[in-house]
Amino acid sequence: MISIKHLFGHVDSLPPEEVKAFMAGHEAGTYTFLDVRQPGEYEKGHIPGARLIPLPELEGRTGELRRDQPLFVY
Amino acid sequence: MLKGKGFEQVYDMKGGIRAWKGAKAWGPVELNMDMISGEESAAGMIGIAYGMEEGLARFYGRAVERTRDPEAAGLLKRLAAFEEKHKQALVELYDEILPENGGEEGLRANADYHRVEGGFHLDDFLKENERAFASPGECLQLAMMVEAQALDLYLRFTDKVTDEKAQKVLFKTAEEEKGHLAALGELLERIVGG
Repeated sequence: MISIKHLFGHVDSLPPEEVKAFMAGHEAGTYTFLDVRQPGEYEKGHIPGARLIPLPELEGRTGELRRDQPLFVY
Repeated sequence: MLKGKGFEQVYDMKGGIRAWKGAKAWGPVELNMDMISGEESAAGMIGIAYGMEEGLARFYGRAVERTRDPEAAGLLKRLAAFEEKHKQALVELYDEILPENGGEEGLRANADYHRVEGGFHLDDFLKENERAFASPGECLQLAMMVEAQALDLYLRFTDKVTDEKAQKVLFKTAEEEKGHLAALGELLERIVGG
């Protein structure tokens, strides 16, 4: 299975506390949360507004993502 | 590699959703998306949001009649008052966009009050959550769940709505919901934590 790092190249890891702080300090619409799990997992609980693209589909669906803003993947 | 194709800021959140201690929403991607066609104008989106705020205020008002706990009743009244403030913020936004349309009267005339924030049908939502009125802490947890669902719904709406101004309204409204969640979190900490 293709990994996130394989798709995106260099990927920095951030603890959730820093991600949450970023979210609090930046307006909605200026960053994207990407949920790469399966739909059933997404349904049970996801970060509000997260875009669901399961990992196996990600390479073919990157066109759905904005390139000009931070992307937080989980 | 996609980084060379424009993805310059990609971050992997350590621990994934299990480690996330912020708000969470539930449900499929399509949940309550039937509320919009995707062709809504900015004013139309404000109207939809206003209707849901009014629906939630009514939900809290009806919940007051169902709880046996006086402190919970007091809190529910307070939550209903919050929704009045939220509605006023939407009225102000509406006036910015359509100053000739009569503000709150214009919004009230077209609003649908049968859904609460997050898009849930008022009557169903009331039945499904009657047990949540037993204590102030439970009321607040329910309120936070609603705000998380509202935030989630507004952001999912942005994927469907085509009008740029309507999208800006949705992002602005979503930002308001983030603030509501933060305020409720602080209130929960004071009531339950203290």
